[in-house]
Amino acid sequence: MKVSDYLTLEHVVLLTGTTKADALDELVSTADDFSKSISIEELRHAVWEREKMMSTGIGQGLGIPHVRLPGLPNAAMAVGVSRAGIADYESLDNQPVHIIVLIAAPQGKHEIYIRLLAKVANVLKQDDVRKAIAEAGEPAEVYRILNEGKV
Amino acid sequence: MTPAIAVLLAQAPLPTLLVIGLAILFGTIGAKIFQKLHIPQVVGYIAIGVAVGQSGLGVISKEVVGNLEPFCFFALGIIGFMIGGELHRDVFKKYGRQFIAILFAEGIGAFLTVSILISGVGMLLGMGPAESIALGIVFGSIASATAPAATTSVLWELKTRGVLTTAIFAVIALDDALALIMFSIAASIAGKIIHSGSGGIMAALGHAGYELFGAAVLGIAVGFILNFVLRRLRDRDKSLAFIIGAMALVIGLTMALDLSMILAAMALGVTLANLAPRRSRETFNLVERFTPPIYVLFFVIVGARLHIQNMQPWMWILVVPYLVGMGSGKIIGAYLGARWTNAAPVIRKYLGICLFSQAGVAVGLSLIADKEFHDTIGPIIIAIIAAATFIAEIIGPPCVKFAVKKAGEVGLNVTEEDLMLSYNAGDMLDRELPSFAENTTLTNILRTIAETDAMSYPVTDADGKLTGIITIDELKRTFVAEGLTDWLLAFDLMRPVPDTVTVQTPLDEAVTRMREQELEYLPVIAAEGDTHLAGMLELAAVNRSLSREVLRRQQLADG
Repeated sequence: MKVSDYLTLEHVVLLTGTTKADALDELVSTADDFSKSISIEELRHAVWEREKMMSTGIGQGLGIPHVRLPGLPNAAMAVGVSRAGIADYESLDNQPVHIIVLIAAPQGKHEIYIRLLAKVANVLKQDDVRKAIAEAGEPAEVYRILNEGKV
Repeated sequence: MTPAIAVLLAQAPLPTLLVIGLAILFGTIGAKIFQKLHIPQVVGYIAIGVAVGQSGLGVISKEVVGNLEPFCFFALGIIGFMIGGELHRDVFKKYGRQFIAILFAEGIGAFLTVSILISGVGMLLGMGPAESIALGIVFGSIASATAPAATTSVLWELKTRGVLTTAIFAVIALDDALALIMFSIAASIAGKIIHSGSGGIMAALGHAGYELFGAAVLGIAVGFILNFVLRRLRDRDKSLAFIIGAMALVIGLTMALDLSMILAAMALGVTLANLAPRRSRETFNLVERFTPPIYVLFFVIVGARLHIQNMQPWMWILVVPYLVGMGSGKIIGAYLGARWTNAAPVIRKYLGICLFSQAGVAVGLSLIADKEFHDTIGPIIIAIIAAATFIAEIIGPPCVKFAVKKAGEVGLNVTEEDLMLSYNAGDMLDRELPSFAENTTLTNILRTIAETDAMSYPVTDADGKLTGIITIDELKRTFVAEGLTDWLLAFDLMRPVPDTVTVQTPLDEAVTRMREQELEYLPVIAAEGDTHLAGMLELAAVNRSLSREVLRRQQLADG
């Protein structure tokens, strides 16, 4: 499974917002072409429904909001990087979040959904990869590191 | 009455097909009403027949009954065939000696008591001693017959199984043959006593032997051929066509050759059941599914043909000793036969009262008696047997029901399908199964399921309402991602609820829905419109429970 199958360069952004709400809003806005049949509002709603249950800040500066949507044709990702960090993300380790990876998958593609989550978690488990992404100056740099899975 | 109905009823006789339709429709309704009153369905069919037949409204006229005669023979053939299917080799091996002894004891018991009572009453009524004794022994021999149709109908309705049920099947299967032999002897002796009738004992016995032996040979021969054909046929519809064809052939041949119809059909059933015990089960199941409307119509006609208006009041004086003698003779005879052969206590106590029904064979023998003794006792025999069978057909089935209930054999011959019809989803659901809140982490889910053996788990929201299902399949896929277990939630893993049933939904409907949607599970909610979860229904667990229950009942029945 390759990250590039699900992530395009257009969906990688350097975040300007410093709150969880702004950051997620910014990231969701880049995902307006995930599907014609799903509006940005629906995606935002689904993301926040999930966040209400438990924050997707999984620690080590990572946030992985993930949703499944019935009308989505394929799984897709969007990545936002905040050099300053988002302090109110409510991470498991209470540290600010620097990298947010939004994963949206169709309702029925359970296997792809789980594998994609696992892939992202595995790549970002590496300290040097996380550090390089958080400090990257360009979306293209972030995209390259994520795809290669190494610095 | 609307003009259309008036015009229809004014037609005499009603078109046969219309009668068939009406008979099945009203017979079924009558049976339902009687079932509600805890009276066997068969009594309902017969009662409807009596109401619309020659003793009642006359809607089913003598002519229509005549038109439907071949159909009745066919129904009798099916009943004989099905009884034959119950008689497996191992039953004969295990109980053969016992059942033969009981058969002779109850047959001779009925013969002796009826002979003595009728002869006595005959003399009291002023008949001569010779005529009274002749009348007594002819009635006695007829009394030994038992109608298999109404009796087995109750056994099948109540899904009975056990040693009493087996004994009933065996005894009624052979009972008519015994009646035929006894009648042949009795009629010859009666002929000698009152210097009437034709031929001697040997000639009469010879004819009875021909009737019985010929029927057995015919049934067995066709059974071998049918078994040969069925072994090569895979198509169920074609199999059914062949079975029905073979049955019609056997019945037709018995009519043409003057053989015992029911015995030939039984021989056909016994042959099939014993040549291929496992495969023939399917054959009998096929025929069984085809039979309900035939049975309904048959018993409605049985009721419709009962004709009791012409009875002279004094004749009823003979009906009572006949019935009392038949009943007590069979009870005492069966009891003694069972005691001598150390049969099970339930056979000793209850077999006799299961043998009260009388119909086709008794009436048939009375017709022969009328022919033989037309100028003397013949007409009395016909009238009294008609009245006695009328009563026996009504009281026989409830007696069978009473006996098998007392013997604890009701509901023991069930299949998983039968059981399914008697349960609701609520009876089978796993109420102890853990359900997960939407925000339960994968770590906690895995910890919990390690202690259960279910394959699917419900997910509920904060209000306890069902929102999704997690199956073992989904959980298996998470094994690729060990690092996810702390932050993946039930919400992330659950699949949408495919369908739900309520606790009141019949189990067979729930299982059908699972099979149609290829689901292994189905969430059960408290009530329609209430999404609060009551539990989960798992197909594998339902099948396990049903198999266990069928086995339990079989073991209970087989001791």
